[in-house]
Amino acid sequence: MLNFSKTQIFGVAAFLAVVFVGVPLFIAATGRSDFYFTLTSVALLAIASAGVWLTFYIGRINIGQGAFALVGAYVSAILVVKAGWSFWISLPAAGLFAALIAVLIGLPILRLRGVYFAMITLVLTQVATLTALALPITNGAKGITNIPLPGAISIFGIPLVPDFSTLENSRMAFYFTATILMVITYAALYRLVNSRLGHLCRSMQQNEELASSIGVNITYIRILIFAISSFFGGLGGAMFGSISQSVYPATFVVKDSVDFMLNCFLGGLGYVFGPMLGTLVLYFGWDLLFEFGKYQMLIYATLLILIIRFLPNGLLSVRFGKGGGK
Amino acid sequence: MANGVYLGSQYAMIALGLTLIFALMNVLNFAHGQMYVIGGFVTYTFYGQWGVPFVLALFMSCITLAIVGALIERYLFAPVIKGSAREESTMLLAAGIAFLLDALILLIFGEKQRGVPKIVDGVFNWDFRLIMPYDRILICVLAILSIVAFIALMQYSKTGRALRALAQDRTAAQLMGVNVDRYSMIGFALGAMLAGLVGGLLVTITGVNLGMGGPTSIKAFMMVMIGGAGVISGAIWGGFILGFMEAFGLAYLSQYGDITYLLIFVSLMIFLAIRPQGLMGKPWG
Amino acid sequence: MQRRSLVKAALTAATLTAFGATAAFAENPVLKIGFVGVTSGPAAAWGISNQRSMEARAAWINETGGYTIGGTTYDIEIVSFDDQKDPKRAIAGMEKMAQEGIHYVVGPNVDDGAAAVRPVAEANDIMYFPYAFPKELYSAPASNAVLGMIANYQSGPAIYKHLMDNEGVKTVAFIAANESDPLSQRDSGVAAAKELGLEVVSDNVTYQVDTTDFTPVLTPILRTRPDLLVLSGVSPANAPQLLRSARELGFEGMISTETAQDAGVLAEGAGDLANGFISVGGASTPELASPMMNEFVERYTSMFGEYNDESNTKVYALEYILETLKATPEAIDDVAAFQASMDGFEAPNPYMNGDEKLKYVGMTSFGQKRQIAVPLVVNVYQDGAFETMFIARVD
Repeated sequence: MLNFSKTQIFGVAAFLAVVFVGVPLFIAATGRSDFYFTLTSVALLAIASAGVWLTFYIGRINIGQGAFALVGAYVSAILVVKAGWSFWISLPAAGLFAALIAVLIGLPILRLRGVYFAMITLVLTQVATLTALALPITNGAKGITNIPLPGAISIFGIPLVPDFSTLENSRMAFYFTATILMVITYAALYRLVNSRLGHLCRSMQQNEELASSIGVNITYIRILIFAISSFFGGLGGAMFGSISQSVYPATFVVKDSVDFMLNCFLGGLGYVFGPMLGTLVLYFGWDLLFEFGKYQMLIYATLLILIIRFLPNGLLSVRFGKGGGK
Repeated sequence: MANGVYLGSQYAMIALGLTLIFALMNVLNFAHGQMYVIGGFVTYTFYGQWGVPFVLALFMSCITLAIVGALIERYLFAPVIKGSAREESTMLLAAGIAFLLDALILLIFGEKQRGVPKIVDGVFNWDFRLIMPYDRILICVLAILSIVAFIALMQYSKTGRALRALAQDRTAAQLMGVNVDRYSMIGFALGAMLAGLVGGLLVTITGVNLGMGGPTSIKAFMMVMIGGAGVISGAIWGGFILGFMEAFGLAYLSQYGDITYLLIFVSLMIFLAIRPQGLMGKPWG
Repeated sequence: MQRRSLVKAALTAATLTAFGATAAFAENPVLKIGFVGVTSGPAAAWGISNQRSMEARAAWINETGGYTIGGTTYDIEIVSFDDQKDPKRAIAGMEKMAQEGIHYVVGPNVDDGAAAVRPVAEANDIMYFPYAFPKELYSAPASNAVLGMIANYQSGPAIYKHLMDNEGVKTVAFIAANESDPLSQRDSGVAAAKELGLEVVSDNVTYQVDTTDFTPVLTPILRTRPDLLVLSGVSPANAPQLLRSARELGFEGMISTETAQDAGVLAEGAGDLANGFISVGGASTPELASPMMNEFVERYTSMFGEYNDESNTKVYALEYILETLKATPEAIDDVAAFQASMDGFEAPNPYMNGDEKLKYVGMTSFGQKRQIAVPLVVNVYQDGAFETMFIARVD
């Protein structure tokens, strides 16, 4: 089923080489070690954006990913700080919890379509922030601070991952963790899209009634996809809480939800790797415009408008038709 | 009760502009709140700074926003809608415009909260059962008058009929000889103008600052959702319902403190889950 | 693709020109001081008054020949980063400061941002001066944050005490926006009021920051008829509307807040209804402001068109950094030396008449000296300007 062409394999290999070898070398050569954090953020936000992209794939505009990222960040923080779990176990737990919430919420709201679904997910982000402010377990307005850095993992005495707090350069460790997670996420996404489930999703995107009439269990698929999408959101959020060692109700807000959606649009909805590129351009672009001071926002917005004006189908549409992994 | 009417009429006006743009072009205008803020600042500049009469300042707000709206439609939305494979791409454009307007507002009008002197002084106090400052009553009446005028325009004028035809079925309207491009532009300008008008009206009471844009857009989305997307009567209902919900919710739920808004939002989500197309909307927008 | 690379090339060129221009003017070596805070979007007002204070002061120093530290005269350059009130961006901003080799940074402006940048700042030897109140930022083991203003749990009790003694205030009600910073401030305000023996008649009413009509929010709280209404952590945008609504609803008690406000904004937004409003300010009331403060206000105004009274408290952080560096020249790239000198540092306060001192405080609140001593000047708004109510000190 997964017949990669030579160019595709080459593209993936080149991408992996750039991410895992090229970037660290570049940073070492130029001394711009602040890029580590920026790129780590890009990787984490790209994971959450991948989830949003997946809900687009079943024809839903999702502006609620910030809610699931916030849930993930809190679950991981609470498990690590209050229950004393290892961060590495809390990470999948955060994703799974976000997915569970998504199933519960998804059951009623996935019946909505179009702008209605978009707007109800937007409200969902507000609800998540307000819930975090009101619940005692999230520590309300004070947030959860002083979260310890991820500890070591070893299997049968062989250390696999070192304790982050003993590392000289925890930025680099976070960078590798985040990018590895990102690569796994996108590999899973690619696999999913090219599976039978992916074909079913595409048929739903075209016409749900038709898909339903040929025997597709659309309710089940919708929930499944929404849960996977939120799993990614929870994962990205949890990892982020660990880097900043703190979580607040405002860690992920409506603006983040909107940003996740914009990342997908900008990269191009027709391409699995669109959200990754979109995140890179949107997030990194802001940092690169740092020199412009008070005109930063103006230039950023103008460029954004120009891109969408001339490439309305996303950045990747310029290379439409070409193969390749990136 | 009186507060509900007051809040409702101002919300309804914001929602009207948004729903008009949505009905005509299927665009969810993220920049609507920013347009409202610009309207407030223009009125502030004319009325508060330069001493121009209030009505004239209000008029300037409308004109400015109508021009801005028309230009945005003509040079940005129209070409993007034509060139894009999925119409949702306009959301990215709308968000980009929202960023741009925010940046422009900051550069032109500054970061401070702005307000203008009250247009009428005094408070209407009916035996402490109903307390309402006169300027609120005035703004409320003006808002309701504008809504009525807007409905009349949509119902009885040639432009209004063309716009309604366009909203119902774009292709059919085109076949019937409606100049689609021209009326899309007029419709967008009209929607933006409503945002400017309400911004100008409210600056006399709440003042205006650059941060009001985003939250206003979100509130407007909610009202449109309650009433049903793309339906004018729906937007008016949605505005009044949200207005009453806030006025009553805060009065009766205040003992629960922090969770008042949480309850409002959750009940909204439950309502939408039960009735996905809102009160008046066409199913699936 | 071509279009994009063209844009990129143009940007690079523009950046290089900008850099070249600054480099050509500088004759002295440049000392960079950072600012990470919010200068765009809804909360822009907070960061912008910070950033402009710093830039106005830096331009002033550079114009008059630079700042001498340990025999070398430096030009001061302010490097600012807009974090959009997003803790993720704030971390990126702090990383950027580390990249630029900056050891002294003012900001961030909010609790979550200040907490999020802590790991980066401590790993990269950056002292930062947040405008956020959580105590764990400044208490051990945290070492690198210095509170840049007076916390509400310090100014609040002083105000309540003064009003109890002089105005006979017995009952107090609190109202706060439903956001982290104001809610935390409300909780500590309530605790302080109870400790002083005030009766707290209402402490659970909140509002959304985007509220346009405060009448329904205020009605239940005013039914409890408090002597004093505290607007916890109120933003300059909401304050005039709250004042106006409260007075229009017939409230006759006193209203106070522990945050800094701008007289112009109050005058425009609430007019005479704001009379008697108590807030915390710096030293720009006529009887306190030194000639240097007046010149600062003048320069700020001519540089940016309009002064912001919030800057009265925000002018201090940069002054503290520079004065401490002057006292301990090796601290310029040695943060440990800076921390060591904080305990004994003392210099005259140039912005205030009388013999006020600049020194680090905070022993009572944090157990270590991690706060700059800004004179706690409590103001009353009256007819378009602030009048000094009383002055207190923090230890």
